Amino acid sequence: MNLSRPDNERTSKDAQYLQAATHDRIYPPGDLAIWVFILAELLVFAVFFSAYALTRANNAELFNTCQLTLDANAAFINTLALISSSYFVMRAVAAIREAKTQQCIQWLIAALAMGCVFLIIKSGEYVHHYQAGINLRTNLFYMFYLSLTFFHFMHVIMGMVILTAVTIKTRQGHYSAAEHTGVETGASYWHMVDIIWLILFPLVYIMR
Amino acid sequence: MQYQSQAVAKPYFIAAIGLFVGQILFGLIMGLQYVIGDFLFPEIPFNVARMVHTNLLIVWILFGFMGAAYYLVPEESECELYSPKLALLMFWVFLIAGALTILGYLLVPYATLAEMTGNSLLPTMGREFLEQPTITKIGIVIVALAFLFNLGMTMLKGRKTVITLVLFIGLVGLAVFFLFSFFNPDNLVRDKLYWWFVVHLWVEGVWELILGAILAFVLIKTTGVDREVIEKWLYVIIALALITGIIGTGHHFFWIGLPGYWQWWGSIFSALEPLPFFMMTVFAFNMVNQRRRNHPNQAAVLWALGTSVMAFLGAGVWGFMHTLAPVNYYTHGTQITAAHGHMAFYGAYAMIVLTIISYAMPMLRGRKAANSGKSQILEMWSFWLMTVSMVFITLFLTAAGVLQVYTQRYTDNPQPFMAVQERLELFYWMREAAGVVFLIGLIIYIISFFAGSNEPEQA
Amino acid sequence: MSKTFTKSMARNIFYGGSLFFMLLFAALVFDSESSLPDTDNRQAITEEVALGKLVWEQNNCIGCHSLLGEGAYFAPELGNVYTRFGNSTEAIKAFIASRPKEGIPGRRSMPQFNLSEKDLNAVAEFLKYSSGIKNSNWPPNIQG
Repeated sequence: MNLSRPDNERTSKDAQYLQAATHDRIYPPGDLAIWVFILAELLVFAVFFSAYALTRANNAELFNTCQLTLDANAAFINTLALISSSYFVMRAVAAIREAKTQQCIQWLIAALAMGCVFLIIKSGEYVHHYQAGINLRTNLFYMFYLSLTFFHFMHVIMGMVILTAVTIKTRQGHYSAAEHTGVETGASYWHMVDIIWLILFPLVYIMR
Repeated sequence: MQYQSQAVAKPYFIAAIGLFVGQILFGLIMGLQYVIGDFLFPEIPFNVARMVHTNLLIVWILFGFMGAAYYLVPEESECELYSPKLALLMFWVFLIAGALTILGYLLVPYATLAEMTGNSLLPTMGREFLEQPTITKIGIVIVALAFLFNLGMTMLKGRKTVITLVLFIGLVGLAVFFLFSFFNPDNLVRDKLYWWFVVHLWVEGVWELILGAILAFVLIKTTGVDREVIEKWLYVIIALALITGIIGTGHHFFWIGLPGYWQWWGSIFSALEPLPFFMMTVFAFNMVNQRRRNHPNQAAVLWALGTSVMAFLGAGVWGFMHTLAPVNYYTHGTQITAAHGHMAFYGAYAMIVLTIISYAMPMLRGRKAANSGKSQILEMWSFWLMTVSMVFITLFLTAAGVLQVYTQRYTDNPQPFMAVQERLELFYWMREAAGVVFLIGLIIYIISFFAGSNEPEQA
Repeated sequence: MSKTFTKSMARNIFYGGSLFFMLLFAALVFDSESSLPDTDNRQAITEEVALGKLVWEQNNCIGCHSLLGEGAYFAPELGNVYTRFGNSTEAIKAFIASRPKEGIPGRRSMPQFNLSEKDLNAVAEFLKYSSGIKNSNWPPNIQG
């Protein structure tokens, strides 16, 4: 922030805060367009999860056996990584609302780092499966497991691309306490990616 | 008409309507062959009639798209077309190449046509919808490149709008995916896999962009609703169309030797394909309800609303009906597919071309905004006759399909194909009758261009 | 609220979403390609079968028949015709060769294509190869 602002600008800054305060009450946060997209994505995952549940009900034994071959510990670490990244993103939004650009960037980078952790651990799992000769065609369980997690994996990458773009734009000073829809938009998308994993993890790795 | 060069759209539209008539005539011949098996045999066997029917459809829709682009791009870009001469030249190249190809289908046996055009050098013929001789396909690519060049140069020098951009992306996609028609491996499974890159990614992919762009243009013009609002809708609709439609290609991969996971991926994503079409219906009706003025060309508004509804019914609802793998296992390649194909193509693509023709033709023929009341009433009659008869064609084919699926596929005692076909005769007769009504509607449509042309415009 | 629905965001979603799903589609197609040897009966593709496919195409068989369910619906499905005809290429050849030139009064009839012996053999071999493609047990029964 520029500390040497003249007074009249400070008044307008107050007005901005006021506006920001009203802005907070607007629901949903971020650009409405992303919410159309988020709803569409949630719908796709909902259908996918339902298909999984139905198939599982008919093949309980196969699903239970194969589930044991998955690395639940790695998935648990990944869950922590995504939850913490969601928390970091939340802090980033809070920071930009108070016009703390530098902090916002730091929180965003922390979230991105957690995203990287997720990608690395998940890739490790994929390499392990690949070496064991497991692929989409092995059986119904692995078809679902690989399809669902890989589809989500790509969403994590997508979310990271969005967060990177938001970080760059924050650094370039595009956002302020009054106008930071972009940060909220990116955060909303990232939370969706996180929430899907929070359903996916117990559904595929834990539930028996 | 705001720009002189928009006039090049006129021959494209006239050619489109002319070829449309040809398509319907051959459709009626085929419909009759379904019940009178030796009708016109061996002069025009069914496979030739069908090839002419489907190829004319594709060509007239393409003429319509090109005409639409030549009409709306100058107006949107607020500048004259880069080269009206090139557009006119390409019109004749495309028309003559198309006419020669159709004549080739009709005058010589297909195998002879293949030999005459050197198909064995680069075999691409004899696959559904891609029956054109290789040399015609190359011609199509050249016409498409010249067309895109002309549009691109126009867009570069003028105002850039979302509508022209989306239209252009759709048209580029159309040209790019057509290139897969040159890939024809000996391996039947791979042949089919990449064949769908043309067919599906056209009609359930990039063509939807073209459809959306033309619809958005006509809605801006006829409703006066803020461009900003319409452009947002357009983006969301086409985004959803591609999000669901690209992986939705998988619903064609169930039974052609590809891995079983396509049954899941394809079912899930294609089940969501009705969404963008539903949004398009909501969009069109919303915009017309929020209109800021009553455009004198009410026929064009009717076509625009009609296409949004019929596209949803034909592509959305009738597509969904048989898109889930367990259902498709029984319905794949039956009259159900034919029912869906008819209503989807008419609703989404025939009607959008008729929409832009309805909107643009009065101006292209020197009027200010609309035809006379008399002409519009006839046009609306043709709208209802064609649309309602298409609904009935679809319903009769669906009934035939259900019976076919049951007796040939589902019962404990499946009957042979030809035995089943004989039991469907009644439905085929009714379909043919509905087809005749469609032709009457089309004739009235053409009459509407000449009726009341001396009378003043409807206010 | 509509104020926060921006055109640039809608545009980004269109580009981003399309690219995303194109990449996903490419990945799945890539995976399918690598699995094809298991299902597509490629070991049966001889030169004769390749010629048979060309004969099939150059006589526009798909204009009346369907093959693995795709094509026209005027004449029977041929993906399983080899098995329907009792696993016999001879039966297929005999059927094609015996079509009456002037058709059958009042009924649908396949045209007489006057195929050479070589082409006839090839197209029968092509149909035999097609019947060996593993396509998730479609059609549901022998009638196609």
